[in-house]
Amino acid sequence: MRKATILIALSAVLAVASISFAQTDKPLAGQSISIFVAATGIDETFAEFTKDTGIKVNYLEMSSGEVLTRLRASKGKNLADAWFGGGVDSFMVAGQEGFLESYVSPEAEKIPEEYRDPDGFWTGLSLVAVDFIVNKDILKEKGLPAPKSWIDLGKPEYKDEVMMSNPTISGTNYSVIFEILEIFGEEKGWEVIRNIDANIPFYTKRGSAPPNKAAMGEVAVGIDPYDVGVKLIAQGHPVISVFPEEGTPGSLAPVAIMKGAKNMEAAKAFVDWCLSKRGQEVQMANTAKVGTRPDAEVPEYLKGLKDAKIILVDPIKSGEKRKEILGRWQKEFGEKTE
Amino acid sequence: MRKPSRHARGASHDAPLLPFVLLSAGVLAFVLWPTIAILRESLYPDGSFSLACYEDLIVKNYGLIENSLFIGFWTTLFALSIGLCCALYVTHTDYRGKRAVLAVLMMTLISPPFMSSLSYIMLFGRRGLISWKLLGLHWNPYGPHGIILMESVGLASIAAFLIMAVLKGMDRDLETASLDLGAGKGATLTKITLPLARPGIVTAGLIVFIRSLSDFGTPIFIGGNYSVLATHAYTTAVGSYDLPKAAAISTLLLLPALVAFVIYRRLMGKNSLFSVKPGGGTSSESRLPRALGTVIYLVVWSYVAFEIAKYGAIFCGAFVKTWGVDFSLTYRHMEALKIAKMGSLFRSLKYAFTAATAAGLMGVLMARYLGRAEGPLVRMIDFVADLPFILPGPFFGIAYLLAFNWMPEAVLASGFLIVTNCVYRQLSIGIKSGISVMGQINPELEDAVRDQGGGPLAALRDVTIPLMTPAFAVSFINTFTFTMTTVGGIIFLITPYTKVMTAEMFEAIQSGDIGASSAMASVIVAVTMAVNLIFSRVILGGKRREDRDVSSTERP
Repeated sequence: MRKATILIALSAVLAVASISFAQTDKPLAGQSISIFVAATGIDETFAEFTKDTGIKVNYLEMSSGEVLTRLRASKGKNLADAWFGGGVDSFMVAGQEGFLESYVSPEAEKIPEEYRDPDGFWTGLSLVAVDFIVNKDILKEKGLPAPKSWIDLGKPEYKDEVMMSNPTISGTNYSVIFEILEIFGEEKGWEVIRNIDANIPFYTKRGSAPPNKAAMGEVAVGIDPYDVGVKLIAQGHPVISVFPEEGTPGSLAPVAIMKGAKNMEAAKAFVDWCLSKRGQEVQMANTAKVGTRPDAEVPEYLKGLKDAKIILVDPIKSGEKRKEILGRWQKEFGEKTE
Repeated sequence: MRKPSRHARGASHDAPLLPFVLLSAGVLAFVLWPTIAILRESLYPDGSFSLACYEDLIVKNYGLIENSLFIGFWTTLFALSIGLCCALYVTHTDYRGKRAVLAVLMMTLISPPFMSSLSYIMLFGRRGLISWKLLGLHWNPYGPHGIILMESVGLASIAAFLIMAVLKGMDRDLETASLDLGAGKGATLTKITLPLARPGIVTAGLIVFIRSLSDFGTPIFIGGNYSVLATHAYTTAVGSYDLPKAAAISTLLLLPALVAFVIYRRLMGKNSLFSVKPGGGTSSESRLPRALGTVIYLVVWSYVAFEIAKYGAIFCGAFVKTWGVDFSLTYRHMEALKIAKMGSLFRSLKYAFTAATAAGLMGVLMARYLGRAEGPLVRMIDFVADLPFILPGPFFGIAYLLAFNWMPEAVLASGFLIVTNCVYRQLSIGIKSGISVMGQINPELEDAVRDQGGGPLAALRDVTIPLMTPAFAVSFINTFTFTMTTVGGIIFLITPYTKVMTAEMFEAIQSGDIGASSAMASVIVAVTMAVNLIFSRVILGGKRREDRDVSSTERP
């Protein structure tokens, strides 16, 4: 009798334990995943992912152009399972060239259709906006006003004071070139680009370098993927953020799974997490990008973005024109790259 | 018929041949094959023979070649001058503070080469601590002047140690005789000392020149739009991943390196400049003319002050909130490092220990054969093993990528290529110091063991191994330091699973994150320094104090 009670109690405990074990919902705990990354606030974001899923993350920072060329060079061999952040145009090319796995996350239906690849090769994660990070001290020293527009940026008084990263490497800066051509039209656009180029001492390789250089006072203005500049302002550098008044590219940063990923299950779990409400909120808390998921809470510090004139870059058109635009850019301005 | 030379007799005859054959095969596979692979890639870009990559290469890159040679020339001149001054200061003067000078030289030797660029911007940038805050200067830090300055200062320590090794090793009685016979100090310096030191000076010049040619970090960080061949090769490979093109560009880098290599081999023969021989005693009396002594004094201490400022800036940068804006103390950067970058640090240490042990053992074992055996095949192995020492880092990195891309992913993700790359690039130092020790072991010692009834193993255990330990130590410390600090060759081989600390630091400097890069630089220097000191103490013991500069090492 007593034995039976104990047995029942025991099995009840066991049952509860096994249910609660199942409810921790970390079936992939202990697995690991490798990711190519072009984003800020990664350590914090991935730490949360690991906390939630138990999956360990190895990542390597690489601009999206670099990932693309590396995929081509490695001839199908994959050293990463997933690809997080960067310019959508590189994702499109990679999808077309067969480097990506088609995966439609159950979370994806919450994300507006225009942010998703119809073939499922990638899904939009967040929107990156471009602004100018302007060093107040340098401007005061030189007696210059802060530039308000792309046209201003090309004015001769900013000679050697503007910095930008190489658009053939940085997805963000490709979107700048693309959007300037969209805003001003082909002919005027290239003229604007030429004028800005005349003020750029050299092009950097990383998109995060120009705002950092502006913060250090190495140049007056850095063309900035907004998430980098926000941090620099918070750190107390004498810089302000300016959104160009003609409009500025907002581009989509996607997430994707590499073809034949070794840790396929973990990669899928990663994509699911990134697109989930929780994942999107974690990202927004750690990087100044607005998530693509409408039901995710936008933190206070990102709300300033709303007043800026942001033009969402058309991923299809920008992908199609990438080769032509960058070819021309390389020919005219490629000499000054780092 | 062979001459019964001393070399051909004795130990090598009975020593087991198999390890040597295996080691030689390794050298061919991991040095010669990648070198061939890179040449093949540039000549067969799409599988069929084509000179497309080389077409216009010189014409198109003429400006870059010119820039590279310009930077290389001035860097060599300045680095040699500083290095020679330091070497003379330590060996030929009775000035005080030699220990401090040696410590500073050693410090610069064990830090990542591109660390200079970081402190350059911190100190001499447009908002730099010295140029702006202190002197209120408006100047442009970017350009060739910055590259030449930082490369000269960075490479001066290699030059100093190479020249010092020769000055220490030479027969001081010649100088004494010259002085006794009534020659002035000036005449003794120009007629005796410098001519005797010439091989060291020339070798130092060659090595500095090659290092400068293959350095892409400094020009990337502080060159502005002033570009050189090495940066172009790097961005072509990493930025646009055009490997055939990158291979062709690196081959241009190879030409001056090969010329220098031939001169280096001719000068060096089988001897090592990284000798573990005890040097001739330092005389207590200055042997330099007074005026020259004063110049040297000024040069050396300006250099020391500059280096201290450089390291000071980096260590401070790791502990202040926002460099240039808010100098209040914080552990934030170190904490961020602890959370996010510990994995890379441990990986760096793991790779460095593995590479160092392998290079140490392989160097000693190969020295045992190469030091005593003769013949064209042996000479060829020796030659090939020497090659990577002088080949530009990016060339060797791209070569590995091309030659071993086919390996299974598990192998690539294990860091195997990073370790082998470092081992083979530093092997020649181990072989050379091994050979120079072998030269001091009388083969008859081993014969004696055998005559007493000991087998070859006993000879190895009782004679060779104890005597070879210093050579192993030189190779170990050297390769360890190299692996901890190099970036040129391995940056191409990094995967998400094999990120190392220098690569992270390179990335952080590239984004301009002063706090994080300073923190990483400080940790790399501290850890490498600690391992250097511990290892030198444990293995070399208190034996010979001045030989603790065994880490007169080489860097990318």
